[in-house]
Amino acid sequence: MNPINAMPHRTYLRIVTIVSILLLLAFFGLATPSQAQIEEFTAVTDEMLVSPPPGEWLSWRGTPAAWGYSPLDQINTDNVRQLQLKWSFALDDTGAIQAAPLIHDGIMFIPSARGVIQALDAVNGELLWEYRPAPPTEEFINSGAGTRAAVLPAGAFAGVGRGVQKNIALYGDMIFAATETASIRAVDARSGLLVWETQVADPTLGYFYTAGPIVANGTLVTGITGCDRYKEDVCFITGHDPLTGEEKWRTATIARPEDPGGDTWGDLPLRFRAGSDAWVAGSYDPEANLIYWGTAQAKPWARAVRGTDGDALYTNSTLALNPDNGQMVWYYQHIPGETQDMDEVFENILIDVDGRKSLFKMGKLGILWQLDRETGEFIKGTDIGYQNIVNLDPITGKITYRDGMIPRIGEELNMCPSTSGVKSWRAMAYSPDTSAMYIPITLNCELATFGPTERQIGGGGAGPVRRINYHHPQSDGNLGEILALDIPSGEVKWRYRSRAPFNTAALTTAGGLVFAGDWNRTMSALDADNGEVLWQVRLATSNQGFPISYSVDGKQYIAMPVGTGGASWSGSLPRELTPELSRPRNGSSINVFALPD
Amino acid sequence: MIVMRFCARKLAPLVVLLSLVTVSHGQGANTIWEGVYTDEQASRGEVVYSQACISCHGQDLGGNSNSPGLVGMGFMFLWEGRTVGEFFEKIRSEMPTDRPGQLPQQDYLSVVAYILQKNGFPAGESELPASLETLDSIEIDSAR
Repeated sequence: MNPINAMPHRTYLRIVTIVSILLLLAFFGLATPSQAQIEEFTAVTDEMLVSPPPGEWLSWRGTPAAWGYSPLDQINTDNVRQLQLKWSFALDDTGAIQAAPLIHDGIMFIPSARGVIQALDAVNGELLWEYRPAPPTEEFINSGAGTRAAVLPAGAFAGVGRGVQKNIALYGDMIFAATETASIRAVDARSGLLVWETQVADPTLGYFYTAGPIVANGTLVTGITGCDRYKEDVCFITGHDPLTGEEKWRTATIARPEDPGGDTWGDLPLRFRAGSDAWVAGSYDPEANLIYWGTAQAKPWARAVRGTDGDALYTNSTLALNPDNGQMVWYYQHIPGETQDMDEVFENILIDVDGRKSLFKMGKLGILWQLDRETGEFIKGTDIGYQNIVNLDPITGKITYRDGMIPRIGEELNMCPSTSGVKSWRAMAYSPDTSAMYIPITLNCELATFGPTERQIGGGGAGPVRRINYHHPQSDGNLGEILALDIPSGEVKWRYRSRAPFNTAALTTAGGLVFAGDWNRTMSALDADNGEVLWQVRLATSNQGFPISYSVDGKQYIAMPVGTGGASWSGSLPRELTPELSRPRNGSSINVFALPD
Repeated sequence: MIVMRFCARKLAPLVVLLSLVTVSHGQGANTIWEGVYTDEQASRGEVVYSQACISCHGQDLGGNSNSPGLVGMGFMFLWEGRTVGEFFEKIRSEMPTDRPGQLPQQDYLSVVAYILQKNGFPAGESELPASLETLDSIEIDSAR
């Protein structure tokens, strides 16, 4: 970090933090008081996070390895047809829902829209407490605390991206969340009362969070987003003391001009280096003591618009960071100089394959990457065959653009996938029982014409794109697919397709099942071996978020969030390409299923 | 109207000629530079925008990675040569993304007026009317 630039920024943030905390204590303390104090609550330790009890779901994807797998098998291929709704709980419709619930001590902690967090009895859905940020007061808005431009009217609709809190973290006796106004907060898990809140970045610069934190070796780690505007600052990942919120380290996700790799942005000054948002939470390997966090593409999306055809480090990369100090131990840039919004920011799944500690991930192009997670070395890449933009060298992992596929300003490009991607935040899941990855895929293509942006402070952004979406030629008119790939061969085990796109992460269980839900309200249980549909149910609105499984008192449950809003194609592709499908525009809820008593 | 839009893009010299002929006949075809909305309508639109649009498109209408910018170069790239009617229909049918079409019609018109104002197109004496025929006759054109 350039110390000249850093000093005023840090001083500013310190002031903002102090002012914010004072104001938050004064005003946000009016948030809804707890309904009940949870008496039976065991503090969550590092050991529990790494090896949770089978019936608990302590991390956003189950464990720090992010498999999205439950070792429970009470619900299985033989009896899944008997599943029935046990309880449902309405979530706020005031914003977008992409919830990843957590389970501990028989309690469900669920991130809802606009910073709301609720604690529910996981057996019957009884509300135990809720944390609800109060609307900012006029005094707060006018305080000059750096949040003025980001403060929205209390009734404002939280739309694409804003208002989402995908995941929360649980550690000790606190719940940790990241906010749409670029702060992180800790809430007492027993009472739902705010413990601390730290302003991490200035939301007037566009910063906000959609990814929640993770805890790695006692450090709270969070990645920022909203990094697309031109400014004298770049995107970052931070580590914090969970007890106080104090920032321990900050690692930039973009190489500054004076940094190693700084020349990969050509001669662009710092202010015109944008993107590399860290908008999906990472994973953690306690043995290596490394966290793995993805970064998004450079902004503006197209090379011709952003003014460099350089690699643009560390965009579209997987970063391996030491959680104690933020040191970047290695990075792997999946698509150097990416130029079509083909994001690689998504989940990192940690699997040991034949004794090799590996990391698997897939971006919008639909290439399944296998890296050595100790060194960052490329091991294998599997192109699932739905993209027409790049060629992948299977030996080196090097990406080269196909002829004519680097966009020029104002010239229409026929590309698959569209800027929505064949894969997005809807996380894939791994089952060790079948040695397979289950991937929610969206089949789509686009006639895309990229346009210019103003190269000035406050300008930039992703850049305008004229979009004409169309069905993928291999799709038979379907938008949705669950693709099962053998690991590590990458061979297709099966595909299950649906007219509506799948709109949740996948969940696998030791019962031989894959759970996922689609945009058209259908939640499905598939046979993990062959993709056969074993059970389906229609829910209130679009399935959206991260399904989980847990058990309480020996009974297994499956929980599915539904909701609307949020980034990616949820509002566009189905409306344009499957116009006969519709969904209610409200009805956000969490729905919990189990076998009959 | 289809002819007019086609002309604007492909047959610019001809459209200029036709426009001159039209004007010379005193029929007063609308251009976006003639003041097609009022300041009051735009002010109402600002209020609606701050409730229904701001969280995605930003206070400065600059957009973000998931929502296009509604001012400046980006807006003109997407809408140059198209009509106010097309823009109105786009947002009326698709916005806000989670409750498309659910705002009152007058609110959509007001938001359009506000966006035109923020793009530097002048206000006039008459409000944007709830008439697709009229809205379709107004081309979004950066050239005066």
